[in-house]
Amino acid sequence: MRLIPKVTVLDIQRMSTEDGPGLRTTVFLKGCNLRCAWCHNPESIDARPFVQWNRVKCIGCDSCRSICENGALVHGESGISINGGHCVLCLACVRECPSGALGVRGEYFEGPELLKELLKDRAYFGEEGGITISGGEPLLQAEAVLWLLRELKREGLQIALDTAGLVPMKKLFEALAYTDLLLYDIKLFDSLLHKKYTGSGNEQILENLKQAARFLSENGQRLWIRTPVIPGATANMENIGAIGVFIAENLAGAVERWELCAFNNLCKNKYQLLGLDWPYRDVDLMPRVEMERLAQKAAEKVKGTGVAVFWTGATASEAEEE
Amino acid sequence: MPKIKEPYNFSKRIKWLYDYYFMGNQRKWNNEFLSFTTGVKGDSLFEEMTFYIVPEIYPFFNPFNKGFGQNAVTLDLPGDFFKRGLAERKSFFIRKAMVEGVPHEVLPGDLLAGSRFNIVCSKGWTPQEVKKRHKKISGRGGVRQKLFEFKDKGFGNCGPTSGHLIPDYPRILKIGFKGLSDYYGELYEKLSTNEQGSRKGENLRAMREACLMPKELAAAYRDECLARAKDEKDETRRAELIRMAGNLKVVPWEPAENFWQAVQSLWITHMLVMSDENYPGPGISFGRLDQYLLPYWQKSMAEGMDIEFGKEILKCFWIHCNTAYDAMIRTGCNQGITAGYGQLFNLSGMGKDGIDMTNELTYVLLEVIDEMSPILEPKPNVRLHCNSPEELLDKVVTMIAGSQGAPFLLNFDERSMAGMLRQAQKAGCEDLINSDNVFDYASVGCLENTMCGNDRSATVDCNLNLYKAVELALCNGRELNTYTDSIWGKPYPSNSDAPESGVAENFTTFEQLFAAFGQQVKYIVRKIVGLYDEMDAIRAEFSPTPYLSALVRGCAESGRDVTQGGAELKFITIEAVTFATTVDSLLAIKHLVFDEEICTMLELKTALQANWVGYEKLQAAAINKAPKYGRDDDEADALALRVMDLWAEETWRYKTTSTEAQFRPGMLSWNYWISSGYILSASPDGRRKGQFLSNAICPVNGADINGPTANANSVGKVLGGHSEDGDYLTYKNNLPNGASHTITINPSITRSAEHKEKLKAFLKGYAKNGGTALQINILDAEMLREAQAHPEDYRNLLVRVTGYNAYFAGIGRELQDEIIARESHRCV
Repeated sequence: MRLIPKVTVLDIQRMSTEDGPGLRTTVFLKGCNLRCAWCHNPESIDARPFVQWNRVKCIGCDSCRSICENGALVHGESGISINGGHCVLCLACVRECPSGALGVRGEYFEGPELLKELLKDRAYFGEEGGITISGGEPLLQAEAVLWLLRELKREGLQIALDTAGLVPMKKLFEALAYTDLLLYDIKLFDSLLHKKYTGSGNEQILENLKQAARFLSENGQRLWIRTPVIPGATANMENIGAIGVFIAENLAGAVERWELCAFNNLCKNKYQLLGLDWPYRDVDLMPRVEMERLAQKAAEKVKGTGVAVFWTGATASEAEEE
Repeated sequence: MPKIKEPYNFSKRIKWLYDYYFMGNQRKWNNEFLSFTTGVKGDSLFEEMTFYIVPEIYPFFNPFNKGFGQNAVTLDLPGDFFKRGLAERKSFFIRKAMVEGVPHEVLPGDLLAGSRFNIVCSKGWTPQEVKKRHKKISGRGGVRQKLFEFKDKGFGNCGPTSGHLIPDYPRILKIGFKGLSDYYGELYEKLSTNEQGSRKGENLRAMREACLMPKELAAAYRDECLARAKDEKDETRRAELIRMAGNLKVVPWEPAENFWQAVQSLWITHMLVMSDENYPGPGISFGRLDQYLLPYWQKSMAEGMDIEFGKEILKCFWIHCNTAYDAMIRTGCNQGITAGYGQLFNLSGMGKDGIDMTNELTYVLLEVIDEMSPILEPKPNVRLHCNSPEELLDKVVTMIAGSQGAPFLLNFDERSMAGMLRQAQKAGCEDLINSDNVFDYASVGCLENTMCGNDRSATVDCNLNLYKAVELALCNGRELNTYTDSIWGKPYPSNSDAPESGVAENFTTFEQLFAAFGQQVKYIVRKIVGLYDEMDAIRAEFSPTPYLSALVRGCAESGRDVTQGGAELKFITIEAVTFATTVDSLLAIKHLVFDEEICTMLELKTALQANWVGYEKLQAAAINKAPKYGRDDDEADALALRVMDLWAEETWRYKTTSTEAQFRPGMLSWNYWISSGYILSASPDGRRKGQFLSNAICPVNGADINGPTANANSVGKVLGGHSEDGDYLTYKNNLPNGASHTITINPSITRSAEHKEKLKAFLKGYAKNGGTALQINILDAEMLREAQAHPEDYRNLLVRVTGYNAYFAGIGRELQDEIIARESHRCV
């Protein structure tokens, strides 16, 4: 008998419009094995749920003052902080807090329970839309993801898998069997720089991608490449050019689109809530002309391969206009 | 600066008419109320009961009554006038006022005749009738005082209001008033002498006489056109005026022969309904315009009409509809009050056996809407269903994307038709509404579903704050706080006629509380029914509208005026207000007192009496910890469905006594969810007194944290969702009237062609899972804040309030703030 697994979920976003075609329900799983300096979802990195205090929501009622038996809740001059090392996730403080200022980021779902949530919007999916499984790195919970994929496929849904690809090839391929669309990141082409900015080299990532691309194109499944365009890191002609060459030489015929996602700083307050310093806190948005130039470069490199190049996101000039 | 939708593609003619209209009270010509009296002492011209559903007007009843009287022109009457029946007097008097009393003007370039229709005039009462009616209205124990107390205590409001129906316009296009008059003559001849002498005969004679009004009015406008043509130097215009005179020779007396005549006929027929009711255009709706005008359009196109000229005729029609707003042009323009006119028409929708009825005229009308908007009237409502064509959806989505408040409402056929079939079954009128004709339903006013040409369902007449039942249940039939008379500031004595449903502090289970709530729901429904019934009887006795009755099937046949229940289909709709506030309050009581035992019932009540002051921690828990309706949370939505079933079922138990109209449920809140928020005490869901209540079937503002799809799923579920024993296919619908559902979507979803497909997917999903009607606002908080700061730059910005559009710059500050708050919480 196959055990029905538990899934550690950060968030479920319904009516998602940015994680694949059509309207989608995107489930973000917790845990990531990359440490991208610009990470837009820092609360997804830790594989476990954790307790967080939100100053804005706090009404100062002091209900939580002596609730924690493990000394994980620290009332300081500038508010409340959580000592993660002491927290046993009993959630007594979260239950006690009336305003929701103390909350837990992440939740354990039983598989069927998660499935039920994901099916709620199927009326809106139509032919194009469906479920996107994202993260964190979803394939760190490969067993649970596989169970989920099988069940979703049994329901006849379109499935997209959003992975950074730093996983054993076997796990990736098991998942690909049930995936209609693979969303795959190539952040930096130079492995040393990749290691510098994400904590790991990219050899395994690129090799997985090559094999996956072959498999997908043979089976008529779709592949979208995404590149975060980060000032000072990935946002340069050399990098975009090199990725373009890689796509043209190794992935032609498999990749349907390549999306350059402009850096955004909307996650600033996420870092604040986590009590973390973010090196990109004061970094400006990409200028629109720069995004256009990079996209042009990208398009040149993949010309004739059938890859459609897009760029998305807010840019500095746009912000000025408003 | 963000871009606001502007009108476009105006010919010189339309540009002039449009600009002239928007000159407002600077215009030389306008359609301001003109008043006419028989000269009877104390003749009351202003029908205050029509405004009983507009609490903002309550303080002005006496001044209005006086004002219209003072300015009224006295018309000469024939010697035997007061010997005639009341309906005949009304019919005669209004005809005289419209044909002889008001001027008949044609504006430069206008292609349609029929300009002034806003009148306030005598009903033809004798001095005895004036006195008798006055006593019933404003005498001791009269309905006015009862209504004021009802409203001041937070129950809601009610009153027999005009409009809100779809007259049988297609019949006039087909057979003309002549055909109608002949038919009524035949009916009259078939009556026995006794019947001819009875009220039945009187009514029938009045309706027949009313058919002459449009004929004579058309003749007057024909003379005007010919006189104008004589002086006209421009040859093209002269030819137009002569064509117009030719049209008026035919319609509306005879059947229309082409498109121009059809629109001319429709306009005069329609504007006279507004005259007959003395209230400009409240929900007098056109029905399925793209269906019944199609043959005339096709004929004229085949005969060589230029498509742009056809559109110009329609654009003139658009401008004419907007002149309804001239009625009180000099008394300011708070759109929060006056945006309620709602001359609605439907486009597209289903036909027999589920086929789609979109046609070439549907698209032409959509073009006209797009080129004219933003503009308030007439109000388009596009009917969608699971087989709506992609081309229509593309057009709809593009138009939504291009304007801030969507330029139309959307109605969803399957869910709506389920409600109409439910109503047929509940009221036993399956002979009139059944699977062979239910697809021909249409909406009036905002989104209220009715049948066409034979149905008056009083869709805005009873507005009941469901939340009042929660308050009464918490207080054993008494109230949480003292309520005061809003005009004199005097405290009312405590409520005394509500049932004692039990001391809430002694309840040990939520079910006991819910049972008490159930008792109080029965009580408040009974109370509004009783109050309305009195008013309805007064209108039936004193205020016939024979011209309108002539246009509603069933009236002549039964010999009863439409105000006397003459229509084949007659319902009185109770619109429940505060649905989500009620549900969330019950959920909060369950959570705080029974499930989690965070507080006792006494503590909760004390906190509510203190308006949460000093109980902020409990309030925070009520807001943040209790479950809420609108999140697609099955448990919360199950309680919401229980509340829905309970109150909806209660309405079916009643009929009016004098007009035998069946009560039915609906949900539309107009602006009451704002005003009643200042009356009703704090509620267990965490709302303080003075904060707004929930709007129609929408979740409480900010409660729908799981986004538009979850919100829509909750709405569909509380209407009954889907099941094997659906009312229409698998669709169930508790609310035949329909329910207003507004959502705001961030503009980013329409930013590219690919994203527009996503909005289409949402609409298709809504047709399956959602409610009966949807209004989409595409705007972000930033634009609204900007518009609030610089209203002069944003005069054009239309926003959806609830079932109606209003100019953002023209609505009150508090409503502006509310709309901004509604949008802000959705910003990422």
